[in-house]
Amino acid sequence: MVSIRSFTAASETTPEALARLEANMNGQAGTASLVCAFYDCAHDDALIHEFITGHFSTVAILGGTSCNGAMSQNGLGGSGSIVLLAIDDPDGDYGTAAVRLEADAAASAEQALHAALANAGCAGELPELIWIYQAPGQEEAVIEGLRRVVGDRCPIIGGSSADNDVSGAWRQLGPDGALRDGLAVGVLFSSGGIGYAFQGGYEPGGESGIVTAVESGAASPGERAGRRILTIDGEPAADVYDRWIGGVLHEKRQAGGNVLADTTMYPLGMDVGKIEGISQYLLVHPDKILADGSLSTFASVAEGARLYNMRGERARLVERAGKVATAAAATLPGGASSLAGGLVVYCGGCMLAVGDEMPKVAQAVTRSFNGMPFAGCFTFGEQGSLLDRNVHGNLMISAVAFGR
Amino acid sequence: MRRELDFLRTEATHANLLLSALNAVLCVDGEDDPFDGVFSALMPVFACAHAIVLIESEDGAGPLECVASSHAGLAGSAWNPSPVSGKVLGGRIVTTLADASAGNGPPIAGFSLSGREPALYLPLAVRGRRGLMLLLRQADEPGFDRSHVSLAKKFSLLASHAFAAKRASQTEAETHRLKHLTEQLRASQEALTFRANHDQLTGLPNRAYIQELVGGLIARKKPGEKLALAFIDLDDFKRVNDLHGHAAGDALLKEVAIRIGSEIRESDVFGRISGDEFVIVLDSIGERADAAAIVDRIRQRLQRALQVEGAELRPSASIGIALFPTHGRDYDSLRRHADMAMYHAKTSVKGSVAFFNRELGRIAEHKLTLEQKLRQAVLRREFRCALQRKVDIHDHAAVGFEALVRWVDHRGVVRAPGYFLPLAGELGLLDDIAGLVVDDLIAHLPALDARFGGALRYSVNVSPAQAARTEFMIGLIRKLAGAGCPHRFIIELTEESVAAAGPFQTHILPLLRASGIGISIDDFGTGYSSLATLADLTVDELKIDRSLIASIHLRPRNQSILRAIESLGAALGICVVAEGIETVEEKDYLIRETRLAIGQGFLFHKPQLLGDLLSGAADDRASLLA
Repeated sequence: MVSIRSFTAASETTPEALARLEANMNGQAGTASLVCAFYDCAHDDALIHEFITGHFSTVAILGGTSCNGAMSQNGLGGSGSIVLLAIDDPDGDYGTAAVRLEADAAASAEQALHAALANAGCAGELPELIWIYQAPGQEEAVIEGLRRVVGDRCPIIGGSSADNDVSGAWRQLGPDGALRDGLAVGVLFSSGGIGYAFQGGYEPGGESGIVTAVESGAASPGERAGRRILTIDGEPAADVYDRWIGGVLHEKRQAGGNVLADTTMYPLGMDVGKIEGISQYLLVHPDKILADGSLSTFASVAEGARLYNMRGERARLVERAGKVATAAAATLPGGASSLAGGLVVYCGGCMLAVGDEMPKVAQAVTRSFNGMPFAGCFTFGEQGSLLDRNVHGNLMISAVAFGR
Repeated sequence: MRRELDFLRTEATHANLLLSALNAVLCVDGEDDPFDGVFSALMPVFACAHAIVLIESEDGAGPLECVASSHAGLAGSAWNPSPVSGKVLGGRIVTTLADASAGNGPPIAGFSLSGREPALYLPLAVRGRRGLMLLLRQADEPGFDRSHVSLAKKFSLLASHAFAAKRASQTEAETHRLKHLTEQLRASQEALTFRANHDQLTGLPNRAYIQELVGGLIARKKPGEKLALAFIDLDDFKRVNDLHGHAAGDALLKEVAIRIGSEIRESDVFGRISGDEFVIVLDSIGERADAAAIVDRIRQRLQRALQVEGAELRPSASIGIALFPTHGRDYDSLRRHADMAMYHAKTSVKGSVAFFNRELGRIAEHKLTLEQKLRQAVLRREFRCALQRKVDIHDHAAVGFEALVRWVDHRGVVRAPGYFLPLAGELGLLDDIAGLVVDDLIAHLPALDARFGGALRYSVNVSPAQAARTEFMIGLIRKLAGAGCPHRFIIELTEESVAAAGPFQTHILPLLRASGIGISIDDFGTGYSSLATLADLTVDELKIDRSLIASIHLRPRNQSILRAIESLGAALGICVVAEGIETVEEKDYLIRETRLAIGQGFLFHKPQLLGDLLSGAADDRASLLA
């Protein structure tokens, strides 16, 4: 039998926030198989880690910093917030491990996965779900390393830890404390079953083009892929992209610069296949225009891939979180009525676009999860399973539902 | 939603497989070994090479005994317990990673394991003891995934019950329980199948299921038998969602499903294939008129008003019909042709019905030819600027010109915009064409000034789609400003463009203002401008749409509207222009009853190509009334 509790508190100082958290817990800590913690980057990781280990016995820990705090069934935590999700499942197995991401991030990920399985007492077993939280930058390599072990046979879901101003102050929390450039991996063998969903809230705007050159990073043999798109259809990528989105980057196209906020409603998309004849898109968020007219992105793109111009709407981004949560609950083996609680990963870019309507996002998830406890983090990259393939994307929303 | 459907289909398939495997257990008579049937049902599903059933010894200690196997030699062999087998005996389903398998197993002649075979373990209570079933693939094959685990979980539970029932010699209670369990599974399978095949909102067959049903109907058709496929598309459904919200849109869709459902026959197939698109297959029909009669009844029924979320909606649908076998012999052809007919109906008269015919096919072909010619025409720069005068309606003195587009093909044939602009819009050629027109105008500006003086202003039309594209607008503003006299140009925009939020408001309007280029609202009176919007935008000119000016002297209601617009223009200091003046009676009314001074229309001047206008061609003079 799985039981889940979620606790939220907020304050500018960590001791004060933890004191409020303790008050909110009202002595309900006790045992937990896994504790997920998401918090504003202004907080002190060591104090949070100490709080968790001090209040929950024999626990696997996973989490990290989340853009401007986190959310739960109690609403949007806001700046300075900390959200804990405690999963207690005596008949299940849970394990976490964390590693620093070295130059060979794929190997680091592989190592962390094996360590997490060993910590769960399940070495050599295929987990029901792998939950990851990592530093932004090497997500494709991390996924690749994990896929070397499990392929696409189980879902890999998670997010890239975030700070409040993209200054690099993000951290990842594992069983032994926090890391700055790390990866925390959790393996979940739940006795109540797990459902999940991974979607974007954007639709194609009509234009598309073929990526004709990228600045190649690490890629599979024979494939050139990277996070800097040099040309689309033979033209400078920034020119093509700016034309697609109506010229709003006109000034920055000349001088270069950060376009993260300008492009939140107009990401790029890659067609990853069809379900019921409807194309599914993995989103890629452009973050900078460089002096040579190339486009820097938060996810890797391969040469030869067709990129689609996608369009978002504020209202759709608000309601989409609820829809993803509903979809996750609907895929629980026991159906949505068996829901015990959940986890939600909501893109920090979408959060910026939604702005002061963010409380509605928390409300939508709460409604979809029927008021059951959940923890939601705001991230700078999202990982999930799309058409049974584990991938990294931007501006996406992931939800995991836990059955009783 | 789509993934959920996918999930449901998988679940339904799983339920079917389980039924087969359970059936194998239950149908075995007496003391026969039930595993032969179970293995033959399960092994193809799990694509495994070996299936082995192990059980604990009676005292629960020591090695596990093999009581059944797809490999006959393993029966009776002893297997050492492992941490994994311990978990499985405790009720857990386990599947292994690529490099961690079931171990080597006992040494049996003709059976050996490398230790790298992908393995799936599931708990199974057999002969009243805890046991497990081990499914193994070949060492070089991919491992089992979560869908196999999910299926194994269900099988494990049900098979354990089935074995227990058999062992108890199927006492009445056990038999009843097992029967109940099987019935539950069957009911659940039916429910899952229904959910996988039907649209959740309306309960109608969904796209995939419709295709399957219609495919079946067609396959069963005998020579001479006919059916009709009607493609129904609700008119302005997006507006319902936008104006009244998605709840109202959903309620409308449900009501449409009920209304159509009540008008069709039991033999007909009816489904929802996407947002506001429905398909009906009328099976069977005698004559084309039979289909027309049913569809027309549906059309009329749909048009009845309904109350949704406190608003009264008057739905309508455009419907296209294709006939089997005349218009297609498979579902895809019929649907495509019915869709084409629906599009024709919608573009002709919304809410109407059209049959597919060869003419529609020819139209499609003509469109393709025109598309090729248009692309070539852009490359050959065949689009020219034509000008129409704006005049003082009292003395007909020119006060400005509106730039219009004409296509002068390589043979000199002049085509009006109605012939090519809609398709050019679809093809994304409008920006290129607009660029050619503006280039033509600017190139002739010195000559125009020499002939008509340097005080006249020139208006350039911009479509809503162009106004929304920042890059196009910036390019246009630069081009006009680059001519050296920006204040002599006016950009004519629709109400929709001016009122739209987004980059136009934040980027383009300030640029237009800073450049000195004037702003005119074209076709005023046909859109949705609010007074507040006008006050905020401080436009320079309002052009009253020709539909309000036509026969103005005979239409008191339009006269009232005209007076209101005139007052509005006067109050806001905006110049008001009457468009589409074609008769002397209209002009006289405007002079007599209003204070409007500026007008435009065929009565004063028909648009002329620049060359003709500058050369003072006869039709120019003839078009001016003395």
